[in-house]
Amino acid sequence: MNAPRQLLRIQCIGCIARILGKPVQRVILPTGAHLQTPGSQHNYGQLLRPFHCSAVCSTSRPSRTQLEKTVEDETLNKDKSLVTHDDLFERAARDSKTKADFNRVVDVFSKKDIRRRGHVEFIYAALKKMPEFGVERDITVYNKLLDVFPKEVFMPRNFIQRMFNHYPRQQECGVQLLEQMENYGIMPNVETKVLLAQIFGEKSHPMRKYQRIMYWFPKFKHANPFPVPHVLPSDPVELARFSLTRIADDLDAKITIYQYPSTDITETGEEVMRPHIVGIQSPNQRSLLAKHNPCRPVFVEGPFPLWLRKTCVHYYLLRADPVPSEEKVEEEFDPEMMGPEQSLFYPQRLDLDLERDMGDDFRFDVDDVEEGPVYAMCMAGQADQVTLSQWISGLQETCPILGQIPTVFRLDSGPRELQTTSDAQQTPEQEVETDQITEEEPLHSQRVKQGSASVLRRPRVYPRNQECLDVQGLSMIVYQDAPPQCELSPLPHSSSTAALHKPYTPTTG
Amino acid sequence: MNLNKLIVLSRSVKLGRNVFAARGTCLHHFQSRRFIRSSASSLAYAKDLFLGKVNKAEVFPYPEISKEELEEINQLVQPVEKFFNEDVDSVKIDHEAVIPPETLNGLKELGLFGIQIPEEYGGLGLSNTMYARLGEITSLDGAIAVTLAAHQAIGLKGILIAGNDAQKAKYLPKLATGEHIAAFCLTEPGSGSDAASIQTRATLTEDGKHFLLNGTKFWISNGGWADIMTVFARSEVVDKDGQKKDKITAFIVERAFGGITSGKPEDKLGIRGSNTCEITFEDTKVPIENVIGEVGGGFKVAMNILNNGRFSMGSAGAGMIKRLIELTSEYACTRKQFSRSLSEFGMIQDKFATMTLNAFVMESMAYLTAGMMDRPGVPDCSLEAAMVKVFSSEGSWICVSEALQVLGGLGFTKNYPYERYLRDCRILQIFEGTNEILRMYIALTGMQYAGKILTGKIKEMKKGNVGVVFEILGKKLKDSVVRTVDFGLTGKDGVVHPSLTVKNHAKMFEQNAAHFGSTVESLLYRYGKTIVEEQLVLKKVADVLINLYAMTAVLSRTSRSISIGLRNHDHEVLLTNTFCKDAHFKNNFLLTQLQKNSPENNDANIKKIAQEVLAKRAYVCSHPLDRTF
Repeated sequence: MNAPRQLLRIQCIGCIARILGKPVQRVILPTGAHLQTPGSQHNYGQLLRPFHCSAVCSTSRPSRTQLEKTVEDETLNKDKSLVTHDDLFERAARDSKTKADFNRVVDVFSKKDIRRRGHVEFIYAALKKMPEFGVERDITVYNKLLDVFPKEVFMPRNFIQRMFNHYPRQQECGVQLLEQMENYGIMPNVETKVLLAQIFGEKSHPMRKYQRIMYWFPKFKHANPFPVPHVLPSDPVELARFSLTRIADDLDAKITIYQYPSTDITETGEEVMRPHIVGIQSPNQRSLLAKHNPCRPVFVEGPFPLWLRKTCVHYYLLRADPVPSEEKVEEEFDPEMMGPEQSLFYPQRLDLDLERDMGDDFRFDVDDVEEGPVYAMCMAGQADQVTLSQWISGLQETCPILGQIPTVFRLDSGPRELQTTSDAQQTPEQEVETDQITEEEPLHSQRVKQGSASVLRRPRVYPRNQECLDVQGLSMIVYQDAPPQCELSPLPHSSSTAALHKPYTPTTG
Repeated sequence: MNLNKLIVLSRSVKLGRNVFAARGTCLHHFQSRRFIRSSASSLAYAKDLFLGKVNKAEVFPYPEISKEELEEINQLVQPVEKFFNEDVDSVKIDHEAVIPPETLNGLKELGLFGIQIPEEYGGLGLSNTMYARLGEITSLDGAIAVTLAAHQAIGLKGILIAGNDAQKAKYLPKLATGEHIAAFCLTEPGSGSDAASIQTRATLTEDGKHFLLNGTKFWISNGGWADIMTVFARSEVVDKDGQKKDKITAFIVERAFGGITSGKPEDKLGIRGSNTCEITFEDTKVPIENVIGEVGGGFKVAMNILNNGRFSMGSAGAGMIKRLIELTSEYACTRKQFSRSLSEFGMIQDKFATMTLNAFVMESMAYLTAGMMDRPGVPDCSLEAAMVKVFSSEGSWICVSEALQVLGGLGFTKNYPYERYLRDCRILQIFEGTNEILRMYIALTGMQYAGKILTGKIKEMKKGNVGVVFEILGKKLKDSVVRTVDFGLTGKDGVVHPSLTVKNHAKMFEQNAAHFGSTVESLLYRYGKTIVEEQLVLKKVADVLINLYAMTAVLSRTSRSISIGLRNHDHEVLLTNTFCKDAHFKNNFLLTQLQKNSPENNDANIKKIAQEVLAKRAYVCSHPLDRTF
């Protein structure tokens, strides 16, 4: 016999009882004890036991509302069929979906019938609707839902009941509720425990589930050393500040806000959005940048995505290619200053021909992949190169050398820009979507091709209209049809010139 | 790999133990004889300890001064002591943070500004030993001691040891009388203990007759009132290959040269009466004849000044503690608690024993080192001096704190001098090279010395050279069979007095020294030149060496005392025995920690704790009251 039909039968018995207006005597269903109507399972000679309500339920007694009436009408009208509780919620939330609305529905359900007929279905429906009402992270709501269960009736009374799965549907429902809490990372509280104990008893399945949650949750609560708050700052500047400090793992790194977001209205009545530009740079990065060889270009790259829970933000890098080994200057040390026996305070190194013994060498064998330095990062309200060059000029205040370094903008944008030629001011959100789709394919093919590449980078497709060289501090947009030689002359390698006009390929090591 | 080889070999060797043992000892003797020959010319007691050798000729017998010198110093000490007891108001100096001019004049009249300046330049011309003796008294006031030390231990030392005759004749007489006060300008804002990163520049003027000094110096003792300064600055030097290089040069700079501004005196925790401030040089014109030594040779000058000037801290600390013992014992014997005087309580007695032991050891170390430095020639005692400094600065801190504790709450008030002593002696662990840096210096200098000699042997061992391995095995086997280490300290012709050998305390030292030598060897085997990075290992090495040197000093001193029948030498025997036993077990523990995979060694954890905390730059743990649910 399938569940709905059994349920139907139970409900029918309930209806009869209601019509007769007096308590129903014990009804024995042929399928066994677990299909009895609630409240009638005991052979104690007691008639319909009044259900216990916990304090949670009785605390709030809203006035009789329209909803309440409709609910009651509906149940009365549809007496002989299942009440679709989804409807209930939908009707309640026709205009607004808030926690109060949700609570109201639960209250109405709890009060409409002392027997709480159909509460399991109701709870399942409510669980499903929780995210819609935005209460999926609210422990009080879960407790309120749990409170819908009638108290004490599902508690096993003897060892046989205890041995077998007593009221499996109800227990399963309770477990489901707890599981949803678990999935949303909501920790049950003492009230949950009291309710579960009242409803199902101390050793029931929901109680076990509760105990398991309470065992594991605290253990994993701080498993993430870099937690992201549930509610992210709404101010884009604050959000950028948070994200940038999150990426830059350096406590010395300093956030600079180059521009606050604002809207200007020009004389012609046009609205001009000034996007926010927030950058981060550490003292180490600054000193690295100061040592950068001005003959070699630096690149502004991006946008790269950063996911903060369900939000995706984008950031840009100012980076350079790794310094070729022939240009590296070994910092020579003065033996007078550092050497043994000559040092002023203590020798910085010993003049011995002895290496560390293998048995004491606990270093891991790591293959060092040479990567270019990242000099700074930023987040901006707009992904266009005008905004980003503002960032670069802001950086120049602390690193004047940047004015002499050719700056190449290598900004990712969607394939649409390859087809159409406008759309320079695309929002990053739009870009990502298109980005991800189009880049999947070349990524694979390139990985295969560049199997021996030491540095695997995301291959990028450059829009032809966006390539730009910032030579000697002068920003120039290099269009496809412009003669490349003149602008590209400061670049030392022909490979770099190629990189400007072709899709960027990873440097082979 | 090599260890396995060793084990395998050791198994096979057991069979023919006698043969190999004999061969091993032969080799060993041969080698040690060669070492002695190579190092006998230079005085290097502490360095030789790194090789597991006790160069007893250098520390036994304990150095003495002649009868005339003793009389001379006693004549000098009396008025100085009287002056410090009667005319120096330390409370006032500390409170007003300035030494009154009449006190300074008194010091000048006593000649205390020119203790080590030769008599021909108007100084007292005293030896290091006698300087140390006077340091015992001047240390009764921290501010005065630091002022005097900044003046002559470092300020004018450059002229004294590296200056030419013209410079000496020009500057020393006025410095000796205290008419001019000297200061030592090395530290800079950007370079605390890292003297190599000096930024102050000296540029030669076009006529080639002057240097223009530009830069700022930090924490200059006497900086506010110094007239003559030893300044270290970078200048361009053309080296042998014809390349231009930045090198450090030492200059004598008079305040009268102009362009010198002193900052506001720092408000300090202790030694408040001394003057510490910042000095800025702005195009100060220094004539070329004021270069100390040669241009570009300033580094050596600075090193010599600093490295050998530290020994006096031992006697200074001892002088201070001796005074504190007098003061606190007075209190402990008169104060009654629970109807008994404080002196009857074991825990109070413990404190007095600690103070006495520390004073005794400091004194022994300081005068041993001073005596070594007073030997003819230019002995390099920088290692010993650094050890004296580390031991005595830490010992002083403990002792002053214990003395304060004897008085309890009273010691904490300003009515008693203890809190001032406590504040004053905190600086001892910081200046003239922090104790951490000196420990590194001590350990690394020794490691370098030992490494030079042992490199060949260790390399052979690593290669698995059978001969060397047998030699070592033989040595080990011999040690395990005979179980005695004999450096000739005890026994029939021993240098240590027999009454000190009754309880085997001299033997304890010998065992430690031998163990230390083999530990150093294994450390070099394990870390090679990368030992520079193993600071926690080096700290332990330095601590063992300091203990060994301290044991040597007390053994040597007490042997002499017994032999010539000094008053209360039985007390010295008691102190020596106590200290040696204590140090022996401390050393044993440290040396055990230095073994590979030693369970006593907690270094990895210590490092990890620090790294985790420093990565967050905060205390990492959750609050004990925090909850997760």
